[in-house]
Amino acid sequence: MKGSMRLQTEVLIIGGGATGVGIARDLSLRGIPSLLIEREDFLSGASGRNHGLFHSGGRYVVSDPEAARECIAENRILRKIVPHCIEETDGLFVSLPEDSLDFRDRFIQACEEADIPAYLLSRDHVLSLEPELNPDLLSAVNVPDGAIDPFELVLANAKDAENRGAKFLLHSEVTSILVEGDRVKNILAKNTLHGEEYLIEASYLINAAGAWADRLLKLAGLRMAMALSKGSMLITNQRLANRVINRCRPPSDGDIIVPNHTVSILGTTSVRLEDLEHFEVTPQEVSLLIEETSKMLPAIEETRLIRAYAGIRPLFQSEGKGDDRAISRGFVLIDHEKRDGIRNLITITGGKLVTYRLMAEKTSDLLCRKMGTDLPCSTHLKPIPAMDAPSNLKDRLKASGEAEILCDCELVRTDEVEKILKEGGVKDLQDILHRTRLAKGTCQGGFCIYRLLGILNEMGLAEGDSNKILRGFLEERWKGIRPVLWGSSIKEEELIESIYKGIFNL
Amino acid sequence: MATVNSKRMDKKTWPKSNADVCIRCATCMAVCPVSRVTPLFPGPKQAGPGAERFRKSGDSSVDEWIDLCIGCHLCDMACSSGVNISELNLMAKAKYLDEKGRPLRDWFLTHSFLFAGLASFFSAITNFLLKNQAVKWIADSLLRIERRRELPAYQSPTFRQWFRKRPSSPPFEKGGDACLPLGGQGFEPYSKDRKKVAYFYGCYTNTNEVDVGKATVQVLEANGLEVILPPQECCGLPMLGNGNFKGARKMGLKNVPSLLKAVRSGLDILFSSTSCGHMIRHDYSHLLAIPGTEEVAHHLFDLFEFLRNLRERGNLNIHFKELPLKIAYFPPCHLRSLGIGLPALEILRLIPGLEIENIEADCCGMGGTFGFKKEKYEISQEIGKDLKEAIDRLNPEIVLTDCEGCRMQIRHLTGLKVLHPIQILRDALSDTK
Repeated sequence: MKGSMRLQTEVLIIGGGATGVGIARDLSLRGIPSLLIEREDFLSGASGRNHGLFHSGGRYVVSDPEAARECIAENRILRKIVPHCIEETDGLFVSLPEDSLDFRDRFIQACEEADIPAYLLSRDHVLSLEPELNPDLLSAVNVPDGAIDPFELVLANAKDAENRGAKFLLHSEVTSILVEGDRVKNILAKNTLHGEEYLIEASYLINAAGAWADRLLKLAGLRMAMALSKGSMLITNQRLANRVINRCRPPSDGDIIVPNHTVSILGTTSVRLEDLEHFEVTPQEVSLLIEETSKMLPAIEETRLIRAYAGIRPLFQSEGKGDDRAISRGFVLIDHEKRDGIRNLITITGGKLVTYRLMAEKTSDLLCRKMGTDLPCSTHLKPIPAMDAPSNLKDRLKASGEAEILCDCELVRTDEVEKILKEGGVKDLQDILHRTRLAKGTCQGGFCIYRLLGILNEMGLAEGDSNKILRGFLEERWKGIRPVLWGSSIKEEELIESIYKGIFNL
Repeated sequence: MATVNSKRMDKKTWPKSNADVCIRCATCMAVCPVSRVTPLFPGPKQAGPGAERFRKSGDSSVDEWIDLCIGCHLCDMACSSGVNISELNLMAKAKYLDEKGRPLRDWFLTHSFLFAGLASFFSAITNFLLKNQAVKWIADSLLRIERRRELPAYQSPTFRQWFRKRPSSPPFEKGGDACLPLGGQGFEPYSKDRKKVAYFYGCYTNTNEVDVGKATVQVLEANGLEVILPPQECCGLPMLGNGNFKGARKMGLKNVPSLLKAVRSGLDILFSSTSCGHMIRHDYSHLLAIPGTEEVAHHLFDLFEFLRNLRERGNLNIHFKELPLKIAYFPPCHLRSLGIGLPALEILRLIPGLEIENIEADCCGMGGTFGFKKEKYEISQEIGKDLKEAIDRLNPEIVLTDCEGCRMQIRHLTGLKVLHPIQILRDALSDTK
């Protein structure tokens, strides 16, 4: 194509979520060169929009023991290779008076069969561990759940892969896939920020586009049946419990509370969706989540919520089933050679954040078989170095007495942000927000984002119209705040609105 | 089960965090005297509701800077959302110091009431020692009590001794003797006129500024009131300010029954130290959960608040003589935090010939025991700079303020004569002369 930049790679990976990046790292460890292309930034899909639960497998152990077994195996591996991304909090499966103790007993039994260490705690013991829990609870089962930071996880993976030779092309969208005979020949892509076009020649193509997997296959004239299920979550202003709190009953809406840094995340709902680009958290979902989760932690009824958000679970559908929760949360690996006669195309989708490494391993194994090599996987053995910026709550609190703070709510230091900016690679505001805790606190960026623009300006990085950047940020922020706007949040919103309208004339 | 119960009890003792209602507006940052002068303290918004989000139960404290909160309550007053910022700070400070351990110095600074009687009795020796440079040097290097700070001198006899022995005084009564029918239990915005009032004078008046107590008694008597001294101990504020909840609560548990007895016998209780008053009225109930405090608080008045009430009902003795003095008045933080306006200023303005100006400055920087501490002395002085400049501009003969801490600091900053406003009011009441 005229005017387009030609790129060549052995393997092209599409999708910068945990799976795609995990594959890039896996291949880099095997010495196979790859290029990853992502329409936006890393984690722009479900990888960045989940509750950050570090699964023990308990959540699926009764309904989907196979997925549960995968979870616990990966749980053990990730504790070793990415300890810096995981908070080993443990999780409780709480039985309330209306919950069946038969299910609890089946749950404990199933955990045993799936090799998930689980033990029963008495009511008094549970309440001494988590005093905010509903005092009417009957008992709870402790499992090795935890909290995982998906941003840290994916970015650390990407950095390590990059150091080992993997390449990344962000903010670039695949526009067409050219199939010739039994092979994908070329891929055309376009940079979404500058409009630059690329012609990519790759020997193998891996579709790790998550919820967009089907849409991508369409470009190659193929199809796959997927169920898109929206899961909505709410974020509280403060961390309400230190452990993951699950309801000990078959999975349903509003049955989990996951601690995450300074906050707790209340989840989730499951709503069938058609439109991938436009979806919002509805008032019904907000009410449902509060109603259900406050049965476990009554404080939720009075606590302040700071944001609502939703992610899309890419669920593979083998045949039309009614309930999305009944569809396996396990992953699907498709060799399009067998399925469609396209020899160099693989699709990987579904799964959980916690099984990303396993998904990458299986995908890379399949690729190796296609390439005719048997290079072994080593991602389960080689730890991933930690990113240097984020640190735990205690460290950040301590440092807040010493350094200049950019984000008051999340105690993000100015020098921390400047370092990321100096390293380069960030293209827009969203990229910066993915790489720091900026704007993730009480005011949701109301006060720190304009300060950030000041820094961008000082560093000569503010391209184009600052007001436009601010407007874009505020629109996205508004989308997340509007569903939970009442009480003190509304008071704060009035203040922030007057700042942006009055001072920035937006 | 025991652990559960004790946890629940802790929660009752300490108010539930209302950090959730902070709207991050940073108004508190504009009034904080400490963060204004040092980058070491991140300011109320971050130290209070902000840091709350980072403190996990069971984690040890890392926020060493919390110890720099001076406890002025200015942030609480500025907060548009009613966040109890200084209480959050105090609780965090208590936790930090409980874990880290308190220096011996803090024990001395908060337990002066234990040896105050002795110090007064041997005041000549005590005062010689307190002024002695060698002693101050030792206190500085061993205890880290700043040597540039004057240590308050002790007086003999104490206020209480003076009160008992003075010829004009009516026989000393113990607080419990009911001399009026029991008043209503409910809240009365202004208590009815009573012939007797009880006086909570505080330790500093008793042993270090006896004349404040004398002036209080003289003014009240000049208004036809009989003063009764209910049994009392240190209010406990120095301990509370140093994060010692247990010690402070112990003092409160001694004081409240005695004050309650006085209240139930129909007496109003007056305080001349705004810090003691603030402690009893707010901290006893809110932070320390001492039973009976609410009832006491309804009958507890700042001395000038009480006089202003008398004035509003036309019962205040205003036969003042002319006092041609140029005076500056500084309202202490704890007075402002009481939310009663500036009653001393209102009353003093009735005195003919008295030229009195309000000093427009925030916290004096003393913060009770804060300003004595070697590591905090510089901060204390830096905070006081604004106040000193404001006083210099007014160029008064005398400075008045209701709090002993502020008086010490203003003397230290300016070298001027600094009195409690009641002392000037006494001087203006010609018939007491």
